[in-house]
Amino acid sequence: MLVSWRYRERKSSFIQSFDPRAWVIFYLCFLFSTLFFWDVRFLLPFMLMALFTLLTSGVKWHEIRRAFLFIGAFITFFAILTFLTGRGGQEVYTQEHLIRQFVAPFSILGWTPTLDVTVERSFFAVSQFVRVFSIAVMTILIPYSLNPAHYGITFKGLGMSDKIAYAMDLTMRFIPTFGRDFQLTMDAQRARGYELEKVSGGLIEQVRRLGPVIVPVTIHAIIGSEDIIDAMDLRAFGVGPRTWLVQLTYKLRDRILIAVGCLVLFVSVVLAFSGLGGFWVPPELIELVK
Amino acid sequence: MSNIALSVKNLRFRYRDRVGAALHGVSFTAAKGELLLIAGASGCGKTTLIRAINGLIPRSYKGEVEGQILINGQDVASLPLSRISQMVGTVLQDPERQILGTRVINEVAFGLENMGLPREEILERVDEALATLHIPHLRERETFLLSGGEKQKVALAGVLAMRPSILLLDEPLASLDPASAVETLDIVRQLADEGLTVLMVEHRVEDVLRIRPDRVLYMKDGAISYLGNVDGLVNVVDTSEIKLPAEMIIERERGAPPRAEIRFVSRRAGDGESASAPLVQFENVGFGYDPETAVLKDVAISIQKGDVIAVLGPNGAGKTTFVKHAIGLLKPKSGRVLVNGRDTREASVAEIASTLGYVFQSPSHMLFAPTVREELAFGPKNLKHKPDAIEAQVRESLETVNLADKEQDPPLSLSFGQQKRVSIAAILAMRSKILVMDEPTAGQDYKNYMNFMDAILQMPGFEAILFITHDIDLAAIYANRVILVADGRIQADGRPEQVLADKELLRRCRVIPTSLLDANLARLRLTGRFMRAEALANV
Repeated sequence: MLVSWRYRERKSSFIQSFDPRAWVIFYLCFLFSTLFFWDVRFLLPFMLMALFTLLTSGVKWHEIRRAFLFIGAFITFFAILTFLTGRGGQEVYTQEHLIRQFVAPFSILGWTPTLDVTVERSFFAVSQFVRVFSIAVMTILIPYSLNPAHYGITFKGLGMSDKIAYAMDLTMRFIPTFGRDFQLTMDAQRARGYELEKVSGGLIEQVRRLGPVIVPVTIHAIIGSEDIIDAMDLRAFGVGPRTWLVQLTYKLRDRILIAVGCLVLFVSVVLAFSGLGGFWVPPELIELVK
Repeated sequence: MSNIALSVKNLRFRYRDRVGAALHGVSFTAAKGELLLIAGASGCGKTTLIRAINGLIPRSYKGEVEGQILINGQDVASLPLSRISQMVGTVLQDPERQILGTRVINEVAFGLENMGLPREEILERVDEALATLHIPHLRERETFLLSGGEKQKVALAGVLAMRPSILLLDEPLASLDPASAVETLDIVRQLADEGLTVLMVEHRVEDVLRIRPDRVLYMKDGAISYLGNVDGLVNVVDTSEIKLPAEMIIERERGAPPRAEIRFVSRRAGDGESASAPLVQFENVGFGYDPETAVLKDVAISIQKGDVIAVLGPNGAGKTTFVKHAIGLLKPKSGRVLVNGRDTREASVAEIASTLGYVFQSPSHMLFAPTVREELAFGPKNLKHKPDAIEAQVRESLETVNLADKEQDPPLSLSFGQQKRVSIAAILAMRSKILVMDEPTAGQDYKNYMNFMDAILQMPGFEAILFITHDIDLAAIYANRVILVADGRIQADGRPEQVLADKELLRRCRVIPTSLLDANLARLRLTGRFMRAEALANV
């Protein structure tokens, strides 16, 4: 059985005061607009927008703590990795200005590990963090704010066919269902003395030893989808155009939100095509380290 | 106008990937408003017959079909599945496999939305179906938070809202507590009385006989072995295969030579051993999955050497949460749980598993190995047992659950009932001191589960056994201690003869006395203990 995200109605929530279609359109505009920029000055308003949405969402910290810690750690890890290797930003800057160099007091096969702390690397790591963090905050809020009973009609309202809209509805609910099945399988195998933490060996051996978890979860997902197809067939799905029980209607505030979203996207496109919003570092800082 | 709602003529079917035929020339008719009970052991072809009638065979389940099925005079072979589904409503054994909607109202409306009915009519029909099943209060609830009984009723409401002329119920009582099962059966009787043709596949024959099915169709090896009224059934079936009312069995066995009584291994502490050191101890345990809802409240209980405990209680009472604390999968929010004197907070689940083996409700969450043999060896290997010991443990466990011939088969290719037995054998092979089983009989036919319960109770290795069940007869026959759980609290804990004799207590815990319990209570002064129906015949 498909389970849903931990959604609940929150009276004071800013996100939930909008039609879900309007919010999805705004979210997409926000997402694509953010992707146009590497300039931290341009990205900061997006981060403020995301933080405003988070703080007015009515979602409690204990509800999203796990998701935030996981994604926060993920983003931080990759920002630090990019900073240490200096690889991620090579497409957006060509020249680097060294602040300080750290050289390891040892060599490995003639290679001496060296960390170059440059102005560009530092600012790229900050930009990358702000950019991804803004998108992550807005994305994490979706499952907590969109009523699962409205998934299908939301996608239908965005112009998709009945079948695709319902498939999207099922897909949205597949993720938490997969999480539940994974946890149940882990519990069942731990009760047989299996310890995931102690899986060791080479890569192939490690994957093989994950079999007790991967196989049941995969088989469950396949059987589950067959059950869903049977259950849909047994209740006349796909006979013809379907009636959607839930009706969504745009209010003035929804139209304003869509307009704001489109405006943000339009301005972002114009700025990007005007050559603004690319990677930026303060010129004063470069002067300082020269 | 014909009174025949369903006509099955010489139906044969063989699944594409199996050797033998699942159905051999099945023929019968069902009249409008008839309630037909379909009974038989696992693998006799009951579910295949249901799939053929609702059109999933051959559309979803491929194979060779012969014969004809007419629904209200129309041949189903010529109809699309979507059209059949408007005439034939199907409720599956596990409502979890059927429910699609996130909220009850969306779930019940799903079929009607697909039929493209006007919104007003959908709402009217949804409310009507919810009212018929006495569940209007569930209308806005989220489906995945419902109890098992509520889910079953919601699944039924979703089908009834489409106003089919035939209703197929495939073991609808399998996951229900006794009170929910009685409520569901009463509704089924009411629907048949209102003119709906109902075909009900069910292992719990005794329960269904309460609502007076018009006829019984008894299947064996893919063919009809008996089709007729209820009274004639007792003369043709093997009572070890079908659970019949106790008085029927007592009557039939009276005068027959007494059967040898199965003696279970005594697990009580010997004279020289300490009877006071509990194997598992719950000290004022409190738990909730979220801060607002308490699932366990102040549970204080201990499991001693020699205990064979049956845990009874309604769906959603906290029984599974209770046993998950014993193996350390859940940690108490307040109080503590000690296993062999050690706090479960300080031990890993894998460490506790060597003391306490836990059989999960659903086998599909644990089976992964290419053969049954490897599946059974997995646990003992993790617990670092010696190879020759593993060999012996695997063999003995397979024999206990009657699957010795499936040793080299992939567990995932077996039927649900067989998979369940593999999951039990996998824990038996670990030779833990304490065996805990969560609904071991769910999805099993009567003969199989009685056989493996007999075998498990005769195994000498366990110091204590605990099983969660909805089957009161199982508690009466096998347990020496019954724990009643309701509303997250222990409501009663004692010998079966004490706890199960309190009718008011049972009613409060949604436990309905069975005919075997009544028969035992009536003879308790003579017997001094609970017995099987066959044994009561000689009292």
